[in-house]
Amino acid sequence: MSWLDEVDELKRRRRIARTQGGKEGIAKQHARGRLTIRERIDALLDPGSFQEHGKATAIPEYDEDDQLTGFVPANYIVGFGKVDGRRVVVGGEDFTLKGGSPNSAGLRKSVYAEHLAVQYKVPLVRMLEGGGGSVKGGGGRRGGTVGEPVFSPPRFRIIADAMGQVPVASMAGGAVAGFPAGRMAASHFSVMTRYTAQILIGGPKLVERALGVSMTKDELGGAKVHARSGLVDNIAEDEHDALAQCRRFLSYLPSSVYERTPRLECVDDPQRMEEELLHAVPRDSNAAFDMREVVNMVMDQNSFFELGRDFGDSQVVGFARLSGQAVGVLANDCRVYAGAMTAEAAQKYRRFVELCDTFHVPVVNFVDQPGFMIGPEAERKGTIRYGMAAVAAAAQATIPWAVIQVHKGFGVATAAHYAPDAYILAWPSVESGALPLEGGVAVAYHREIDGADDPEAKRHEIEERLRSARSPFPRAESFAVHELIDPRETRPTLCEWVEWIQPVLEELKGPVQFPIRP
Amino acid sequence: MARYPVESEVTGTVWKVEVTVGDSVTEGDVLVIIESMKMEIPVESPQEGTVTELLVQPEDSVEEDQVVAFIED
Repeated sequence: MSWLDEVDELKRRRRIARTQGGKEGIAKQHARGRLTIRERIDALLDPGSFQEHGKATAIPEYDEDDQLTGFVPANYIVGFGKVDGRRVVVGGEDFTLKGGSPNSAGLRKSVYAEHLAVQYKVPLVRMLEGGGGSVKGGGGRRGGTVGEPVFSPPRFRIIADAMGQVPVASMAGGAVAGFPAGRMAASHFSVMTRYTAQILIGGPKLVERALGVSMTKDELGGAKVHARSGLVDNIAEDEHDALAQCRRFLSYLPSSVYERTPRLECVDDPQRMEEELLHAVPRDSNAAFDMREVVNMVMDQNSFFELGRDFGDSQVVGFARLSGQAVGVLANDCRVYAGAMTAEAAQKYRRFVELCDTFHVPVVNFVDQPGFMIGPEAERKGTIRYGMAAVAAAAQATIPWAVIQVHKGFGVATAAHYAPDAYILAWPSVESGALPLEGGVAVAYHREIDGADDPEAKRHEIEERLRSARSPFPRAESFAVHELIDPRETRPTLCEWVEWIQPVLEELKGPVQFPIRP
Repeated sequence: MARYPVESEVTGTVWKVEVTVGDSVTEGDVLVIIESMKMEIPVESPQEGTVTELLVQPEDSVEEDQVVAFIED
C-alpha cells in the first residue's frame, strides 16, 4: 500500500489551483486588455524558472462525508524565479478571483512575498492589481477573536525593512487601490501601464461618498495623474513593456545590499570622445541646451535609463553604465526653470540619492544648478525644506561620487550636488557663486544702480563688467576642482575613475545607516 | 485631421513667437520661446502639421501647462 492515492489527489488539487478564476474569469481579464497573474509571471521570468510557493493553496469545501466539493484557488501567487539568470521573488494578486481582494487563502501569501525576498536576499518584483482588504472579509463575530494580538509586530514593518535590504520593483497592470497602492509607493521602481492601470487610495465610490465628487478611475488615478504626481516612476505602453522596464531596472542593482553593484562587460570604447561635447553648452548663458544629449554622449551607448521624467522635471535622474559599471546619473535640465530645484525636483533628488546609497551605486552628477526655485508658488510649497532634505541626503551619502560642473552652480541648492570626497571635474563653461549674476547684481549693487541717471543701463554695465571678469581658470589654479577638462575628455576621465573606485564598491557591501524610505 | 494643443512646460513670459498661423512645422520645431528664470525656453511642436492657432504674443505671461498654440495634421 503506497501513498499514490494522496499523490494523485495532490496533483489534482494543484491542477485546480492553476485554473484561477476559471475560463470565464480569464476571458474577462483578457477582454479588459490585461494579462492574468500567471501570464505576467511567465512574461517576466526566464522561461521555466518559476518555482511557486504554495501550489495547492485554496479555500476548500467538503460535504458531510468529507468529500471535496469545492476548491477556490488562493488569489495571490508567489514564488522564486530568475530574471536574466538572477534569482528573484515574484508575487501578485489574481484579479480573476474576487477582483484581487485577498481571499482567506491568498492573504497569507500576500504578506509573505517581502519576507521571502528579505530572507533569501534577492530582489522582489510585485505585479499588483487589486483593491486590498474588503469590509466583507473582516472577522467580528461575537465570541471569536478579532484583530491581531496586541503583542504582534507591526504587519507592515517588513514592507519598510525590505526597502533597505533588496531591490523592490512594482508594476500596476490594472486598478490598484488601498494597501496595494501603498505597495506601489513602497518600491524602488514603480511602473504603470498607460491605458489599463489606475492607482488609487480610494476608488470612485469612496470618493463620491466622502466628497460628493464624481470621477472615473482614470481621472482619479490614471497614468496622466501619476506621471506628474511622482507616485510612479515610469509609464509603460503595455504590460510587456512594464515588465521589460522592471527587468532593466534590476540590471543596474545588486541582488541585495550585501552584494556589490554589478559591472558588466563594457561594449563601448572607454576612450570615446564626442566632438559635439565641445559645443554642447552655448556661450550665451541664457540659451538652453539638451543635458540628456550630454549624458548620452558620455555614458556607455544606449545605457541610460531615465526614471520619473515628468515629475520634478528640472532634475533628471536615472541609471546608466560607464565602462560597464552601473552608475546613478543626476543632471539638471535647464529647459525647465533653468534646472532650478523645485519642491518636486528636490524630492526626486533625495529619493534617488538614497536609492543609490542604499545599494552602493556610484553617482555621476552633471551640474547646471541655478539654485532653488523662487517665487510665490515655491514658497507656498515649502520648497527649501525638501531642498535641504536633498542637501542632507548628498552630504551623508557614502558612495563614490563624481561631479561634472557643466554650467551653473549657484546658491545653497548647489550643495545638494556634492557628497563627501567627491571627484570634481569642471568644464570651461562653468559659472558659480552665491547668486546668478543677473539677480545678484540687482541686490548687491542696488544703491549704485538706484543712484544712477539710467538705473537699467547701470545694472547692465555692472553685469557686463563682472561677466567679462569671469574665468574658469582660477578654480583649476586653486585646486578648487580636481581638473578643469576639455568636455570631450569627460568619458575617458570618468571611465578611468570607475577603475579606481572598484575597491570601494567592494568595501561598501552591507546595510547603510540611512536606507531609503517610501 | 487631428488637432493637437501645444503646452508650455513652464511659467514665464513669452519672449518670441517663431511661427505664424499657416506655417508647416515638423516635430521638434520651435514655435514659441518663453523666458523663465532668465533662460530662453523653447516650446517645441509635438509633431508634424500646420499651425492653426497661436494663443500668445510677446510679453504675455504664461502658466505651466498653458496651451500656447494648436497644430493640425
